[in-house]
Parts: sequence; structure tokens; C-alpha cells
Amino acid sequence: MATASPLARARRSTELSLVVMAGMITAGAYTLASLGQYTQIPARIIPFLLTLLGMLIVAHLGVRWFARGSDPTLLPVVALLHGLGYVMITRLEPERLAGLQTTWSIIAIVVFAFTLAVVQRAPDLARYRWTFLALGVALLVMPLVPGLGSSFGGARIWVSLGPINFQPGEFAKIALAIFFASYLADNRQLISGATWRVGPLRLPEPRYLLPVLGAWAFAVLVMVAEKDLGSSLLFFTLFVVMLWVSTERAAYLVIGVVLFGAAAFVSWRLFAHVQLRVDIWLDPWADPNDDGYQLVQALYGVSDGGLMGTGLGRGSPDIVPVAESDFIFTSIGEELGLFGGAAILMSYLLMVGAGLRIALRTENAFEKLLAVGLTTIMGMQAFIIVGGVIKLVPLTGITLPFVSYGGSSPVSNYVLLALLVRLSDSTARRLHEVPDDATMAERWAARRLRRSRHSQRSPATQAAGFRDPSFHGAGASSLASVTGVDGSRAAAR
Amino acid sequence: MNKKIRQLAFGMMALYVLLFAAMNYWQVGRASELNARTDNYRAIRREFDRPRGEIITADGVVVAQSVATPQGSQFPYQRQYPTGSLFGGVTGYYSFGYGASQVERTENDVLTGQTAQQYVGNIQDVFTDGDGTGTVRLTLRNDLQEVARDALAGRDGSVVMLDMDGRVLAMYSNPNFDPNAIVDPDFDAAGNALSALNEDETEPLLNHAYQLRYMPGSTFKVITAGIALEAGVMALDMPPFDRVSEWTPPQTSNPIQNYEGSNCGGDLREVFRRSCNIPFAQTALAVGVPGMIAGTQAWGMEQPIPLDLPRPTASTFGSADDLDQQLPLVAIRGFGQQEVQMVPLHMAMIAQTVANGGEMMRPYVVDATLDSRDRPLTVTEPSVWLRPISPQTAATLNELMQGVVTDGTASCCLGISGIPIAAKTGTAQLNNDGQPQESHAWIIAFAPADNPQYAVAVMLEGTNEAISASTGGRLGGPIAQRMFETVFG
Repeated sequence: MATASPLARARRSTELSLVVMAGMITAGAYTLASLGQYTQIPARIIPFLLTLLGMLIVAHLGVRWFARGSDPTLLPVVALLHGLGYVMITRLEPERLAGLQTTWSIIAIVVFAFTLAVVQRAPDLARYRWTFLALGVALLVMPLVPGLGSSFGGARIWVSLGPINFQPGEFAKIALAIFFASYLADNRQLISGATWRVGPLRLPEPRYLLPVLGAWAFAVLVMVAEKDLGSSLLFFTLFVVMLWVSTERAAYLVIGVVLFGAAAFVSWRLFAHVQLRVDIWLDPWADPNDDGYQLVQALYGVSDGGLMGTGLGRGSPDIVPVAESDFIFTSIGEELGLFGGAAILMSYLLMVGAGLRIALRTENAFEKLLAVGLTTIMGMQAFIIVGGVIKLVPLTGITLPFVSYGGSSPVSNYVLLALLVRLSDSTARRLHEVPDDATMAERWAARRLRRSRHSQRSPATQAAGFRDPSFHGAGASSLASVTGVDGSRAAAR
Repeated sequence: MNKKIRQLAFGMMALYVLLFAAMNYWQVGRASELNARTDNYRAIRREFDRPRGEIITADGVVVAQSVATPQGSQFPYQRQYPTGSLFGGVTGYYSFGYGASQVERTENDVLTGQTAQQYVGNIQDVFTDGDGTGTVRLTLRNDLQEVARDALAGRDGSVVMLDMDGRVLAMYSNPNFDPNAIVDPDFDAAGNALSALNEDETEPLLNHAYQLRYMPGSTFKVITAGIALEAGVMALDMPPFDRVSEWTPPQTSNPIQNYEGSNCGGDLREVFRRSCNIPFAQTALAVGVPGMIAGTQAWGMEQPIPLDLPRPTASTFGSADDLDQQLPLVAIRGFGQQEVQMVPLHMAMIAQTVANGGEMMRPYVVDATLDSRDRPLTVTEPSVWLRPISPQTAATLNELMQGVVTDGTASCCLGISGIPIAAKTGTAQLNNDGQPQESHAWIIAFAPADNPQYAVAVMLEGTNEAISASTGGRLGGPIAQRMFETVFG
């Protein structure tokens, strides 16, 4: 594992210094928010700094140990977003949510490192595509189960297990992205083939399209039933984008947009809550004290912030209902101004750029599509909610990734980040930028194999999936070969 | 697939450019319009979320403070005025949604800790337990203010006391208002209270002592005498005035009478202490129209009083148009009737000018502003506003005014053993002849006359029969008396 690699070391030390900078910005913002609000140094500054330091170290060590060739910008950008979000949440709800957000943040960081440790070979995920489909479906219907699900703010998207509330849909989108990526990587030629003639149209063979369409239709239907418009929009976009990128046929994009327009129109005609959202979007000032209150006050907030913002702790973002969750972006826009808001937007663009760069660099179709899917989820989720709170698009309640409060949201987003980091590391290994050392699991398996070989003295010919560490550079492809995704079968043994 | 991925990257970037454009639209393009909307109360609320410093009197009584509200209240702080209406006309109010007035308005930056000096100083507060707010210390004294209120005993009128530096030691007037009603956390109650006060025809929201003006009656003779002495028209050793009960000025056949038609005359000392009208009518004409207009302006009339509170009003000699053709009016104005109107504070300043050797000081109510650790930010320096008369004239007027107390119109009601007092009374007749008696009662005074320290003006509005039936000496004298007794305690 400890093969010397100057490039990996350089990437990790870049990441460390950037993470430290993000931590310093967070600590500074935390102090400033308290100064602005109470004119005093925060009372819990020492435990805060220690916790922050601990979390950053855990996250960094997770990457250093398990994905040392990965892109060094992903984690620092997330650390900055997460830090600013945390400062905003503690500033808005110092008593109610600060402790909870700390707990969830720690859980999220641990889950991040854990995900990196467990998923050490990205193509492993593709092997479990049907499991992920089942998992995604199960997670999606969970809130509809009587006694388990509960509604907040009109959307039945929460699951309550004792004191813990979480949105399973947050995880479902990752599971479904993995399924889509895996399925499309295998079948994309068949789907784009369009050999099925229906009148003048040439469509793909229905049997190839069916699983994807089914999964997507199911997801959208469930979410319409749960009245979770934001997530429906997100899934729709994810599906269309992945289909478009994998088949390279613009027709899917056009069909997607048309389908979306039709679906939007139908739901606007059918559902009162959709009509209300649209009415508020068109003119929030029609009812500024009731229906439009949230959006009107959010816009007042950002306009009051102006270019430079009111300063942390010196604005009134708490006027806006759920300012700490869906509307956290306008809270930041109010107190940090256009500059602060632009910094947040740039952070997301950096992540989108990093994610798509991973997709461009890898030659593995599954990894390519998964990177596209995960990046699309993250970039589109941020766009939908930011656009919603500044009246660019109709508001649909979803969280701002890494920034918003919302229990399961940071956890699921860190899983997503861990997968992106994993893909990035995998690409670096594939391109031989860093040595493709065996993972810990692989070395354990190899040792077990050797032992059984020695004890049973039988020739081991079926060792595919496990590798000997002495065979340098073939590990990833040997695993990938199992999935049938990667064309280059390695005949190591 | 890479081509599509690149296109996706451009698409994503386009979406974020849209977001950035939308942010610019709200935060720059339409910011000022949205910030000006009435239902956007963020700017006001920003103020209300912060603690606000105290306003204290010169003798250390807190007259305005912010107290922490119970958890769950709409705002973390509630403004309180512990002395109620006693200082309402000076502190004003600081309300949510209805603005601020008086010191609460003029010293807002100090109270909220927003002056540049405080920004720097407050850095230290971070390490101590200061809250960053400032304190405003008034020149007014709580004890004198209470005496003024008690002495007025609910009657409409004003009491103002100054020291020789222009510090306002007391400035109380009826009718007034209790600012606590306007800062009621119940917005509707506060709004109703404010609109009731606004609609009240007696103008309780105005500080009558410096924002309204009244006919001064004979107290104005100090000014006429001062102008005449400066012009050389009048002197202590001038020939005595005729003892007459009425006199007909030029351009009219209607005679001017002394108070209640009495027979009045004699040397300057006598006509001043007995407050004969006819000699001052004649003197005004002797000075002439241009002389009277220039002279009254030299005394600060026609100019807003330079008090450090919002919207002070100006005393006036009345319309100056075609006055040459209306000499009878000039004559009547010479003893403070007709269109002459004086601000009560200004009358106190006139007494202070005589006492101060002819220097009229700028009056002020804010003695000092202090930072959160009670270090002074600003200390108001006394300054001379006007020099209407020479020290010699001032000395002459001083002597004349002492006569009023020793054996003149104020001898009934004003006098402290061992402390010589100088004064001038006034009874401003508001009604025309034949109508029911209606008059303001005035007295201006200063003491000790040989080494002046304090000047006072008392004015009772002729809004009831008891006031209208009496004189400035009888009504105002006892009030001035109590003020002096308190201050010399």
C-alpha cells in the first residue's frame, strides 16, 4: 500500500492545505457570526475548533488512506460549503439545531470515510446493480409505509425511526444513479441502436429500455405521490442526462424535455399544490403575507444584503421560514451578499467541473456514467433549490447539498462525495498516475487464498476477483472484467 | 460519450450563469426598490435586534433604557422610559415602524454603537462583557424636571432652566406624552397611541418649550429695552416718561393703554419694574422700524433656536411687510403684544444673555456621549451663539430686572433671602377688547443677580380662566421660586 508516489503525495498535501484553509474560513466565519450577533467571541469556540479539526482530519485521512490518487479539490470545496452552512445554521438556530447539525456532520464525515473504506473498487458497485435498484425502490416507498413515514410541510418524504428523522429519498437517488450507470454502460449500444420500427419511428428494442424506463417511472410516480416535486425534477433530469450521455443521441434530450413539459403541465392542471407553487413563482407579491411570504421575505433578505451583505450575524435571515434548510442560500446571500452567494455558486461549479473531469478522464463506461450521474445530482440539486429561492424557477423544496440543515441530507451527500472521490482515485490508478496497489480487502483475500492453497495444496485457477499484490497494475481491470464493463480483459493468470 | 459530457459541462455552466444573473438582478438591480418597500422591515429590525444604550440625566437617573425581553419575544430588547412623560419631550421615542424622535433620533448612532469611534473602541468589548452600545448623558437634571412638573401642576405651560454655559437643566412642558405608549410591543396598541397623539389638537408630541411659540407680553420689554439701550434711545439717566393711562401713536386714533388701563410712568427703573406699556411703545417707535427688526434679529429672533434637538422653531417679531405704514403695530409689538411670538426656551436664553454679560449661549441638552465602558466619546463644549448687547447694557438690564423682584411686578411672589434675583414678568393679552380675558402668564428670571448662575423661563398657556385671570408674576413667580430653591437647595 505504501508504494512511493510523488504525484499522490503532492495531491494529498495540496488537499490538506486547501482543507486547512476551508477550516480557517469556517472558524473565522463562526467567530464573526458570533461577534456580529452578540458582540462576543463564541462561548464554545474551543470545542468547536477541536471538533472542526477532528472532522477535517478524519475526512482527509479517509482520502489519504483509501483514495490517495484522487482529485485534491473535491474535499476542500465540500469542507468550505459544509463549514459555511454550519456557521449559518448555528447562527440561525443556536439552541435547537447547532448540536444536531454537529452530530449529523460527524456522522456524515464518518460515513464518508467508511464509504471510501468499503467501496475500494468502483466497478464493484456495478456488480450489485439489481441490489441497488431494489434498494432505491425500497428507500423510495419507505415514507409511504403507514406508521413509518411522516409528512412535514406537505411532503410525505420523511421516515421516523424513534427520534431519528431522515429522508430515504436522499439515498435512493444515489442507489438509482448507480443502477442507471451500470445498466446503461452495459446496454447503451443496444438502446441507441433503435432497431424497433413503430410506424415511421425507429425506437430501441423495448426490452432494453424497459428496466430504465420502469425504474424512472416508478421513481417519479412515487415522488408525485409523496408530493416531493424537487426530487421528481431531479430524478427526471438525472435520467434524461444519463440516457443522453450514454446513447449520445440528442433525441433523448428532446424527448425528455417534451415529456417533462407534458408532465409538468398535467401535474399543474391536476394538483393544487403545484398550481400554488407556480402562482407564487409568477407573482409572490400577490399574497405577500401568506402564500408568498417565504419567497418575498427571502428576496427582501438578499436585496437587503446587496453586494457585500449585512455581515454575518447582522442580518435578519430568521424572518424567512425554514431559513436554515431550503432557504439557507438566501440567508447566506443576505449576510454575505452577492459576493458570498457567488462564492457558493462557484464552489458548486468547481465540484461540477471536477466531477465531469473525472467522467472525461476515465475510459470505463460505468465509471464515466456514474461520475456524470453523481455530478448531475449534485449540480442540479443545487441549481433547483438556489433557482427556487431567488425566483428563477418555481420553488420546490429540496436541500442545498452540504450547506442546508437536514439530518440525512449531509450524510447522503457525503456518500455521493465519497463515490466521486473513489471514481477520481480509480481513474488516477487506471491512468497509472498513482500505483495501482492492492486494496486491503484484496490483500486479505490473497493471503487467505495463499493459505488455502498451502493447506489444501490444490491449484487455484478460479482466482478472478482477487489478485496477488505482486502482480502490479492489473487489479482494477481484473475486477472490472467481472462486470463485463471494461473491454480490456486482463489475463493476469 | 466525452463530447456529450463536455456539452453537459457547458449546459451546467449556463445554468449557473443564470443563477448568478438572477442574484445580480435581486441584489444589485432591484435592491434599492425592494429595500424601500414598506413590508420590508429588515433595516429597522436590524436596529431592534441589537441592544441600545441608555439615556441618563445629569444627576444619573436613567430616562431611557433597553431591557432584555423574555425568551420567545419578537425582539430581544424592549425600550423603556422609566420616568414616563417626565422626559418624553427630550428623549422622544424609539419605536418599531414609527421611527424615532428627539434624542433617540439625533443620537441614534451613539446609542446603537455605530459611530466610527465606537467601532474602534468596541474591539475591546469583545474581550470584556461590554455590549458595544453608547450612553447619552443629558444636561437635564431629574430633580429640577420633577419640580417643574410639580410646580406646573398639570396646567399647560413650559418651564425651562439654563445655566450660564447654555446647558438646559430643565425643560418640561404640558401637554406632553409618555413614550412608553409608542414603544408598546403590541404594534396595534402603539400605532393607536401614536395616531391619537398625532390627532390631538393640543400637540402633545411637540415639546412646547422649544417647538412652539407664544405671545410674550411684557417679558419682551427686556428685548425692547436692550435694543433701545444699545441704540442710545434709552438710558438710566434719561428724563422720566409721562405718567399717563393711554397714548395714541401716529397713524391711528386708537389709543394704547397700560395694563388694565392703569396710570403709569416715571424714570426707566420705575416703568420697567411696574411694566408700563406706553413707555416701551414709544421706545419702539423711537428706535424705528429698521432698528427694531435688526435688533430683534440680533437677539436671535426669526432664526430657529440652535438647540441640539430636532426641529426647533424660531421666535418672531411678526410680519415685517409695510411696517413703516403700520407704526401702531410696531408700538404695540414694543411691549410684546400683537404678532410677537417667543419660544419659551428662547425667553430663558434672553434671561441668560442678560445674566451672562450679553453673551447668548447655544443651548444644549446632550452633555456628553459615553461608550460602553463610560469613557466619553464627545463632550459638548459651551459656545456663544449671539452677542446682542454689550456688557454695559447687560448690567443695566440686570439692574432693571432686579427692581422687578425687589419692588415690582414680581415682588409678590419671588425672593430668596440672601440671593438677589432678577426677573421680568409678562401677561400676554390674547383676547381683543371686550372679549373674555385670555392671557399667557410669563416670567423670566436669573439668580444670583450679582453672580448669575441660573436662568429660568416659566410660561403658562392661557388655556383656562384661572391662568387668564392672573398675571405672570403671580403665576410664574412661585414656579420660578421653586426652581431656584431646588437648584440652590
